[in-house]
Amino acid sequence: MGLKDKLPGVGPVPTSGGIFGDGSPTFLTSKIDAIINWGRLNSLWPMPFGTACCAIEMMASAASNYDLARFGMERMSFSPRQADVLICAGRVPYKLAPVLRRIWDQMPQPKWCVSMGACASSGGVFDVYSMVQGIDTIVPVDVYIPGCPPRPEGLIYGLMMIQEKIRQESLSRHFEHRAEDPLRVAQPRANEAEISGLTGPFGNSTRQERLSTGQVPSRKAPEGESGRKLIHD
Amino acid sequence: MTEEHLSAFDAIAAGPAPSDPTTGGAPRLPAAESDHPSIGALGERFGDAVLGQRPTAGDQHVVWIAPARSFEILSWLKDDPDQAYDMMSDVTGVDYGNGRPVEVVYQMFSTRHKRALRVRCPLPLDALEIDSVVPLWRSADWLEREVYDLFGVTFRGHPNLKRILMPLDYDEGHPLRKDFPLRGRYSRAEQTRRALSQDVERYYGHEVLGEEGREPQELAPEIGTRGAEGGGA
Repeated sequence: MGLKDKLPGVGPVPTSGGIFGDGSPTFLTSKIDAIINWGRLNSLWPMPFGTACCAIEMMASAASNYDLARFGMERMSFSPRQADVLICAGRVPYKLAPVLRRIWDQMPQPKWCVSMGACASSGGVFDVYSMVQGIDTIVPVDVYIPGCPPRPEGLIYGLMMIQEKIRQESLSRHFEHRAEDPLRVAQPRANEAEISGLTGPFGNSTRQERLSTGQVPSRKAPEGESGRKLIHD
Repeated sequence: MTEEHLSAFDAIAAGPAPSDPTTGGAPRLPAAESDHPSIGALGERFGDAVLGQRPTAGDQHVVWIAPARSFEILSWLKDDPDQAYDMMSDVTGVDYGNGRPVEVVYQMFSTRHKRALRVRCPLPLDALEIDSVVPLWRSADWLEREVYDLFGVTFRGHPNLKRILMPLDYDEGHPLRKDFPLRGRYSRAEQTRRALSQDVERYYGHEVLGEEGREPQELAPEIGTRGAEGGGA
């Protein structure tokens, strides 16, 4: 088991006295996409943004029993500058929303985001005045993990889905994979109609007076340019 | 939609009843009937300013006092050697709804006599003002800010009366009041926009982190706050 076995698309070129020993090839051929994706998906450094009980499960995932390090997430990066995956574990109140947004803005590209648990994904049971109703109104989310809280297996599966996503990326289409307007820092990710659609009243509360009650639109994303489908949508 | 639902919406449209003179909670007993030594002494010394008392949960004694003389009574409870309530465990508030008075609750403990006492001050809704007890107990500082933040009670003489839990520029009201709608007064989109336009440095700067009196450093412009489009709105 050497590097040559792990790289996809390596063709065996038997010669003598190769770089991996006798009979192995003296050179490798592969796609640059495959090389880069292989490197990226096996060295994802997570940025833990743990605010509630989901963070306990995230810590359990990093501990020896579940051992997130097996997937190349050797080190939880407590600085967003050196992180690749934002794991938002727990509920996010509106007061914390600009902090989450700034951490996302500080992370260098390429970057991915995991929304862990019901609260981060939709607000969960906290359908109240103080709570963000899903972090996808603030930052683009790649993988949502259901659960309250999800078990460590759930988090690991979600991160493996991120790895699978990276495996299918291509340098020539990286604008499509990570289409985010760099000028829109500290801005909501979704527009007003989308936020209303995501967070519309679900009828579990009787006191719903508001100053501005928008209609609840359908969950249809705005059409991009001719057939250009964004992965985040 | 059934009759029941429609009548519920009517009640919402009508809003809270204008004013209910009755007090919240169980009936009060005369101060002289109490077997708590401090309440008996309070009744003898302050007479009409002691509105009543009631034992609750076995040995927890509650005494109601008139808000106009609250500071006088509380400072006597702290300074009198036979009372010596030197620890202010909690300051909180209760809104009973329907226009009834908002009560400010002081939970105190005497480490000298090993006694606890709960003092409650009913405040009518049109005069939500009471003297601050920060000059007596430093621990009341943040607790009174919390009551101000969530109930809208103004504490006269408080050194730093501003919001502590909600965002500093939150203008939807005081969330724990009964007439506050569960999901706030603005739409989710407006709440998201306002949340993301907060200046994070105001919360996590030197003043809040306990270095009051020190000039905040001129922070380098960072991605995500300064210079962002509409970021400072």
